Amino acid sequence: MKILMSSLIIALLLLQPAFADETASVKKNAEQRINVVIDHIRDKDLDKKARNEKIIATIAPMFDFDLMAKLSMGKENWSRMNPAQQKEFNELFVSRLQESYLEKLDLYSDEEVVVDQATVIKNRIHVASHLVSKDNEIEMIYKFYKNKREGWKVYDVEIMAVSIVQTYRSQFADILSKQSIEDLLKRLRETGGFTVPAGTY
Amino acid sequence: MQHRYRYILFLFFLLFVCGCSQRHVKPETSDVNSKAQVEGNAISDVDPSQTDFENNTIANQDDENSLLDSDADLESFDQEFDEFEDEFGDDVSAEVSDPLGGYNRFMTGFNDKLYFWVLKPVATGYSWLVPEFARRGINNFFKNLYYPVRLVNNVLQLKFKNAGEETLRFVANSTIGLLGLWDPAKVWFGLEAHPEDFGQTFGVWGIGPGPHIVLPVLGPSNLRDAIGLAPQWIYLNPVNNFLNASEYAGLDVSDDIQKIETRAGVYALEKVNYTSLHIGEYENLKKDAVDFYPFLRDLYEQRRQKAIEE
Repeated sequence: MKILMSSLIIALLLLQPAFADETASVKKNAEQRINVVIDHIRDKDLDKKARNEKIIATIAPMFDFDLMAKLSMGKENWSRMNPAQQKEFNELFVSRLQESYLEKLDLYSDEEVVVDQATVIKNRIHVASHLVSKDNEIEMIYKFYKNKREGWKVYDVEIMAVSIVQTYRSQFADILSKQSIEDLLKRLRETGGFTVPAGTY
Repeated sequence: MQHRYRYILFLFFLLFVCGCSQRHVKPETSDVNSKAQVEGNAISDVDPSQTDFENNTIANQDDENSLLDSDADLESFDQEFDEFEDEFGDDVSAEVSDPLGGYNRFMTGFNDKLYFWVLKPVATGYSWLVPEFARRGINNFFKNLYYPVRLVNNVLQLKFKNAGEETLRFVANSTIGLLGLWDPAKVWFGLEAHPEDFGQTFGVWGIGPGPHIVLPVLGPSNLRDAIGLAPQWIYLNPVNNFLNASEYAGLDVSDDIQKIETRAGVYALEKVNYTSLHIGEYENLKKDAVDFYPFLRDLYEQRRQKAIEE
C-alpha cells in the first residue's frame, strides 16, 4: 500500500513540472505584453492612431483571433456559412474585438494592472490579472490553449466572470435563430464602427 | 398572518417549478432538436454519448467548408473545435432557456428608456449637487443596511466564517464607521463584504435559474432570483431597517413608516445615488453588444452562475 501511494505521488510529481515550466513562461509573456501596452497608454506624446496601432501590434500575437471568431459563431453556425461569409465574418469580428479592446483602454486612467497567477486547467492555462482602481477591482482572466503550430494563444478572455466568447455566442445564436447569416453580417457591418443603431435592443 | 403562510407555500411551489425546468444543457444541434430536448426533460444532464454522436455528425458536415486547406489540418482543427464546443457548449448559460424572450426584449427597451430619460438626467443633476465623497458615503450606508440579507444567506449557505466577518463588519461600520457611512472594516481591518442573496442561496441548494425575466426598473433577473427578492423585501427590507433604525434613534418618523411615498422615496434615493456613481458604465456595455438583450441576459446569467459557484 505504501509503495503504491509513494509511486503515485512520485508519478504526480513527475507529471507536474513539464507543464509548470510552460505555465511560467506563458504568464511572463502575457505580463510583458500587458506592461508594454500600459507604457504605450501612458506615453502622452503618441497620437492616438499611432498609439492604437502599437498596442494592437503588441497584444495581437498573444491572441488567436481566428479561433475566437469561430468559437463565437459556434460550430454549427460556422459550418453553415460559405467560405466568403466566413472570411467576412472573421474580419468584421476581429476588428470589432480590437476596437472594443481599444475603447476599454480609453477608460483607463491610472489603474494598476497586476498579473497575479497562472493556473493550469486541464490542457489550458488561465492567466488571472487584476485592474485595481480607486474603489473596485476588475478581474480579468486570459485563457490560453496550445496551438499545435504557434504555441500558447489566447482563445477567450473573462472579464468579471463573463466570458467574451460566450456572450458573442449567445448573441449570434439568438440572432441566427430568427434571421439569416446575411442579416447578421449586415448588422455587424453596421455596428462595426461602434454606433448602436437606435431602437435595437 | 395566515395569508403570509399561503404566500410562502406559493413561493415554494414556484421554486419547485423552477427547479424542474432548470438547466437544459443544450447540445450544439439544430433548434428543432434542442427544443424537443428542452420541452422533454426535467433536471437534465444530457447523455454524453448522445452529445458525442451529434458532434460527430456536425464534424462530418463541415469538412468541406472550413477555411483551412490541408486535410491533416482540417482533422486536427475539427478535433480542436469539438473540444472547445464542449467547453462552451456545456456552459449552463450558453443558451439560456428563454420562453419570455418577447416580453424581456420589451422590458429591456423600457428600462433603457427609463435610464436615458429619467434615471441618468436625475443622477447627473444629483451628482452636481452632492459631492462624490458624500455619495460614496450614502452608498456605503445603504450597503450596510443590507447586512441582514447577507448574514441570513451566508448562514443558509453554511458559510459561517463569512457570516462572522459580515457581523464584525456591521458592528464596526455602524459604530466607528458612523452609521455605515464609511467602511473602516475594510480600510482598517481588511474585512471584505460577502454579498449573498436568496437567489444565490437557492442556487447553492441546487435550484436552477429557470427562465430569464427582465424586471421593470430592477433589470435582468430570472425566476429563481426574482423569487429570492420576495423574502428579502418582506422580512429583511433595507428600507424597513432604515426606517426602524431611525425610529429607534428617536426620530419621529413613525407615521411615515407605513406610507408608500416614504418607501418609494428611500428607494429612489438609493437608486439615484448608486447610478450617480456609475454613470457611463451602462452606455459602455451597450456599445459592446451586437444584440443588446441577449448580451445583457448572458452577462447576468454568467455572473450569477459564477457567484453561486464561489
